This record gives sequence, C-alpha cells and structure tokens, in this order.
Amino acid sequence: MADRYFNPFQAIDINVPVDLHEAFTRYCQTGGNAVIDQSPFPRMVDLWFLAVCVAARLNLEPVDTAQYETRKIIDGSIFGSDPWRVHTLMLIAIGKTGDVQIVSEPRKMMSIASALAVAGLPKVNEMLKNGNAEPIWNLSDAIDTALRSPARIA
Amino acid sequence: MKLLRASFENFRLLRDLELKFSSDPERKLTVVRAANESGKTTILNGLQWALYGDAALPGKGEDFRLHPIDWDGSGGHRVPIVATVEFEVTTYRRGPSGLRETRRKFRLVRSAFEEVNGKTSRRSPSTVRLFALNDTGASPIDAPEALINDELPPELRDIFFTDGDRALSFIEADVAVSTKRERVQRAIRALLGLGVIEEAIRHVRKASSDVNKQAKQIGAGSELNKIASRLEAIDEDGLKLEGELDDAEQQFVAFDEKVEETDRKIATALQKGDKEKLQKDLELALRKIKHLDDQLTAANKEHSALFRGQYVATDLLSPVLDRAFGKLEELHDQGKIPNTTIPVLEDRLSAELCICGETLKPGEPDGQRRREHVQRLIDDSKRVDEIQEIITDLYYGAKSLRPVSDAGSRWREEYGKIVKSRDGLQVLSDEAGREFRALELQLDALRDTDIQGLREARRQYKDQRDRSLSKQSSLGTQLAGLRREQEVLKHERDRLLREQEKGARIIAELEVTQDVTRVLQSAYERITHDELKKVSDLMNSIFLEMIGADPEQGAIIRRAEISPDFDIIVYGPNDRTLNPDRDLNGASRRALTLAFILALTKVSEVEAPNVIDTPLGMTSGYVKRSILRTAVRESAQLVLLLTHDEIAGCEDIIGEAAGVVLTLTNPAHYPKMLVNDPHVAERKVLRCECDHRHACRLCQRRTDAEAALGVAT
Repeated sequence: MADRYFNPFQAIDINVPVDLHEAFTRYCQTGGNAVIDQSPFPRMVDLWFLAVCVAARLNLEPVDTAQYETRKIIDGSIFGSDPWRVHTLMLIAIGKTGDVQIVSEPRKMMSIASALAVAGLPKVNEMLKNGNAEPIWNLSDAIDTALRSPARIA
Repeated sequence: MKLLRASFENFRLLRDLELKFSSDPERKLTVVRAANESGKTTILNGLQWALYGDAALPGKGEDFRLHPIDWDGSGGHRVPIVATVEFEVTTYRRGPSGLRETRRKFRLVRSAFEEVNGKTSRRSPSTVRLFALNDTGASPIDAPEALINDELPPELRDIFFTDGDRALSFIEADVAVSTKRERVQRAIRALLGLGVIEEAIRHVRKASSDVNKQAKQIGAGSELNKIASRLEAIDEDGLKLEGELDDAEQQFVAFDEKVEETDRKIATALQKGDKEKLQKDLELALRKIKHLDDQLTAANKEHSALFRGQYVATDLLSPVLDRAFGKLEELHDQGKIPNTTIPVLEDRLSAELCICGETLKPGEPDGQRRREHVQRLIDDSKRVDEIQEIITDLYYGAKSLRPVSDAGSRWREEYGKIVKSRDGLQVLSDEAGREFRALELQLDALRDTDIQGLREARRQYKDQRDRSLSKQSSLGTQLAGLRREQEVLKHERDRLLREQEKGARIIAELEVTQDVTRVLQSAYERITHDELKKVSDLMNSIFLEMIGADPEQGAIIRRAEISPDFDIIVYGPNDRTLNPDRDLNGASRRALTLAFILALTKVSEVEAPNVIDTPLGMTSGYVKRSILRTAVRESAQLVLLLTHDEIAGCEDIIGEAAGVVLTLTNPAHYPKMLVNDPHVAERKVLRCECDHRHACRLCQRRTDAEAALGVAT
C-alpha cells in the first residue's frame, strides 16, 4: 500500500538542536535503551512527530531552527513506511498556513513541522519527566490530560 | 538459705554489677526490671556459676565464653572473672528454752581467668572460696561445696534457678515421657532426700554382706561355708547386675529420646511437603512467570506503540486537521478535486453500459457517441496539474485521519485498555513471583532434610532402644532369680548358723541388718507415697488458684497431680486426662510448672530462694496477676527477672510485695530504644535504683511506636 503513496520528504533530513538531542538517545528504544517504560518511543521519528503534534495541540510558537546548532537525527525516507504521517505533515502545513498550494513545497512543509517539533520537544521532555512514575506513565498521563483539555487554537 | 547480695566482675555483660536481694520475710520479693538483652539470663547464669561452677553453665561451660565479648585487651589479655554471692543460712537447734534459731551469713567467691587470644579464649579452672561472715570479719571455711550442696543441692538447680521457658521441660510434649518423668523424679528425689535413704539401704546391704562373710569363716569347708560363699557371690552378681540394669535403663531413656526427636524431625520434614511435587510445582510456577512476563512485555510494547500510532497524532491535532480538511472540502466543493469518476467511467466503458442504463456499445451510433463523451470526461480529469493530483491524493488518502465527530479520543480509549491490561498482568505476575519464592523456600528447607537418612537413623535408634529394653528385661529376670536363690540360701544359712555355737551372734547381727533395711525401705516408700502426695496436692491447689480466674481454661481443667510414676497429669471433666502441651494455653502451662516448682520447694521445707527469669511471659490479665501473687506467697524468697511488659498490669502487687526493685539497662539500646545517650562505649549492663514505676535519665525508654518511627534521628 505504501508504494501507492508519494513521499515528498524522501530527500529531506530532519535536524534538531544539539541541546535537544539527548532526549532522543534517552527516550527512544533505537537509542539503545531496551526498557520500554524508561524509553517509551520505538523510534526517534516517533518522539519527533509527537513533539510536532504536542506543539500544534498547545499552539506553541514555532521555533526558528536556524538560530540553533542542529544535528540530523533522521531523514525523510522514514516516512515511506508510515504514509499517514506524510499526509499529516501536509495537513498540518495546510492547517497552519491556510494555503493548499503548500503541498507542492516539501521543504517548506518540513520547515513548518521542524519549527513545531523544536517548540514541542521541551514540552514532551517535561511530560516525560514530570510525575512519580516511569517516563512512559508520566507521558501517558500528560497526554491523557492534554486530550481532556480543550485544544488551544490560534 | 536466702540470697543477700551478689556482685559480678567481667561476667559477660556484667562487667561491674552489684545486686541486693530482699531478705525481709514481709516483703520477700526482689524484682530486677530489665528489657531483653539487658542481663536477666546472664544474672541467672552468673548466680549458678558462682554456686556450682562450670557444670551449671549452658553446655556445661564447653565453648561458653565468660568474659565480655568486646574485651579489647587494653586491660590485659588475661581477664579476671569474679562472681560473689552473699547468703544467709538459718539453722534451728533445740535448747533448754525451746527451739533456737541461728542465722549465719556467708560469702562465696568464685573466680577464674580467661586468656583472650584474638577470637578464641581459654579458661582456667575456677577457684571457689567460702567465708563465714561475722561482726569481726570473715573466716574462711574449707570445702565450700559441702555447704552449698546441703543448702542448694545441685540436682535442684532447675528448681531454685528457673528460666521461665526452660521450666516447661517438666511438662513439654516434645520430649519423651520417660525423660519428663526422669526430670520430675530427679527433682522430687533430691528435694525429699530420697537419695540419702537409698544410700543408707545400700550401706546396710553391705553390712549384711560383711556379716555373711563372718558366717563363711566359722564354717570353713562345711555346708555353711559353701552357702555363705554362694551368698557372697550372689551379692557380688546382684550388685553387678543392678549396675548393668541402671545403665540399661539410662540407655533406654537416651535412645527413647533420640527416637522421639527423630520422629519430630521426620514429621516436620514431611509437613514441608513432597520434594518431587514441590519441584514440579516450582517448574510450573516458573513457566507461569515466564508466560506472564511475555504477556507483560507484549503489553508494554502495545503501550509504546501508542506513541507511534496515528491516534495520538489525530487526537492531538484535531483542531489543525479540521482546518486543513475544511480547505480540502472547499476545493472539492468547487470541483477542483476530482471525485472518483475516472475509475467508474472506465469501468462503465468496459461494461459498455452507462450509469443511466443507456448503451455504450461502440458498434451502435448512440453508443459510440456516448463512449466518446465519456472518454472526453476521462481525458479532462487526467489533465489536472501536479498540485491537483497531490491534493486529490491527499483528499482521498487521508480519510483515516479525519476526526470522527461523535467519537471521543480513540487514543485515550486504547490507553485505558492498556492500563487495565498492564495493571492486571502486573498483579498476576507479582502473585506468581510470591508463589515461586514460597515454593523455593519450601524446597530449600527440604533440600537439607534427608528423610530417608532420618528414617534410617530412627530405625537404628529404635533397635538400640529395643535392645536396651530387652537387656533390662533379661537383667530384671536374672536379678529376680538371684533374689529367689538368695532367699532360699539365706534361709538355709540361718538354719545352719543356728546349729553352730558362734552362729547366734551372727544371726543376731543379720537380723539387725534385715530390720534396718526394712525400716529404711518402709521410710523410702512412705516418703515416696506421702510426700509425693503432699507435693502433688500443693501443686494442684497452687495451680488451680493461679488459673482459677481464667474462664477459658477453668472450664476444661479440673485438677493436676503427680502420679506415683512421677508423671505430671492434668485432668479435665470426667477425669479425662489433658495433654498439657496441646490442651493448655501458654499461661496455664507456665502456671503448672511454676506451681510444681513452688510446691516442691515448700513441701521439702527447705528454705531456699526461687530465682526465676521471665516467669510471666505468655501470660496476661488476671492470670498473670494471680501467678505473681501466688508465687510471692508460696516462695520463701522470690527473685524475679522481669521485662517491662511482664511488669505491666502487676505494679500494685510488686509495690506491696517487693522489698527491692532495681532496673538494669543496656546502653547499646541507645538510640533505638533508650531516650538518652548513656555515653558508655563498652558493652555492659548498668544498674539504677529506679523501681517498677519510675524511670531516670539512664533507663528512660522509648515507646514501641517511637522506636519504630526512629524518633532518635
């Protein structure tokens, strides 16, 4: 089924500020951590994508990544196996800009997503740490709470 | 005898301790209040060591260290250990003006040295000296053991110096009947002086043998000589057989105990369960744990998958997605997003039938016309630009991302299921872990137990016990035969003696020895019967008084007695015998043994102290008070080593009866149990004069709750 979909982000690297890189090694199982409760995210893309979603949900101000020293964590080919993420990133770009034409500009779309991810990562980090339980439970409870609360719409 | 004072130097925890005992007949109770590990049992051991030496120590003193455990060598490697006991002995003498009472005081000093070499130590034989005390000083007395043995016979150590728990040995069920009987018998025989009479009987029998020898001499070579010689041989054989019988009886008791002990070990081992079944259960439990672990791991992965699935994204992004989908719908409504007509139209063309039902066959004029129109529509749609294509793809491909208006958060729904699953599995996993550990413990206990080996040991002990019994029977039969032969020969000897001139004197002497033997035998039987009955009756009345207030036990216990076989028996309704270990509660068992000890001391009319360590353990309420009150009344001098818990509820009785109350404190209990720091680095017991109602800076203790909370920190 994935073959039917075109992945416009195929050739785009995903970078995050170096300061936030530690969260990816700590909370992602691909970072070498086998204990799921301590490292809830199967892959780095899952953490990055959740950060995008959380920032969008909380209407956090997108952060211009240009001002940071960044490092690549993944490349866009990862979305080839999750076409719904391609669609979601496109829909976020449309939703945020109100411009449907943006779908023809993958780098612009990725730039919007990256700015949201960098805004959302500290929040996700906080969600993982705040609480008395293991990170997976802290995060789950925080998301549960966020979903119970009305979304902040700009 | 009454204890007046005792002091200890370097005797284990008692580095430097002096105790005074009440000798006031109106206030004959001395109470030493001390918490656990504060020297109560050490005092009991110390007093016995002073009086009886190493034989009175646990394990007869073998490997039993006396010096303080933290002796650091700074005071030298030879540790002097000294125990001093001052006591008073009252004697009565009939004088011209009636019965005259004399009180004499003595000081007994026992000392020994222990050579401490690292972790080991060696003790020199102890030296004991006794001094008679008078107004002018102290005069040494030779052979101190004789006086002690007269006043406090060593066989009665358990009666005078009693460990509350060990006292139960007179009735406890986990020793053989013969052992209990032997303990009771030994105590009674010693206290009632039966040993002295037995000795006298032996002495007279020897005198009788000597007279028989004279008979042998006067009839040299004659029939009388032969008979006297045979009687002499019978006497010798009889003595030898009696000795062997004694040994066989003791062996029987020893092996009987071993059989009982092994039976208990086997029963305990069997109660722990079957080893093979346990092993199988353990494997099953392990498989269950592994299965649950797998399920837990799967549930954890499902939990983790919540963060890579699309529900978390769609639920969190719903406002943004709503807006984006709105834009797409607008385009769709404007017709900018083609619908799915192309595949439908292509399908219709190949079916050669229009949606409206008209023909699309290429061979027919109308059909051909309609086909061309449909083909144009298809071509137009295919001509949309690249953006349109992407948007179209997005519009149709992202259907699953559209929020479902009437549904709640699907992520939360999935999360709820996972929480339930993980929590449930965790509970099961914890239970399985506990089950596994319990089985492991059972198996570990079993691994050390070789039931087969125990059975083999039991068989051997039983064989040896049976052999002893068989030997007893054989020896008993031989002795009976000897006695019969002896009687016949004596009769014949006496007849022949009467025929001799010199025989009359010997006959007279023999008759005297026979008469004396009869008197002694009769005295022995009377004491055994009458005095035993007195002890039994007094024990019964003390016991019933002690437990009289206990409705639970009062309902089932009617009386207690010591049987002629020296068994302590408790009777219930309709004279049914009760098993003291099973049918009596802890308080009643303790009351029964204390009643026996007090009755025995009282009937013997020996004025002796009863020093009892933790006599009121396992007792409470009215029964506890009753035991204390009765013990005070029945004892000539009562020294009780009590914990704070034992004293609780009995303060008024102690207040009335005690002439001396003092408190011992172990400084090592600070800060956990003591309020104030005693500032003592050595392990030693300290004394203060606080009575049972008061506490000073040294002995003030924390309450249990405070200790548990670690208030000191």
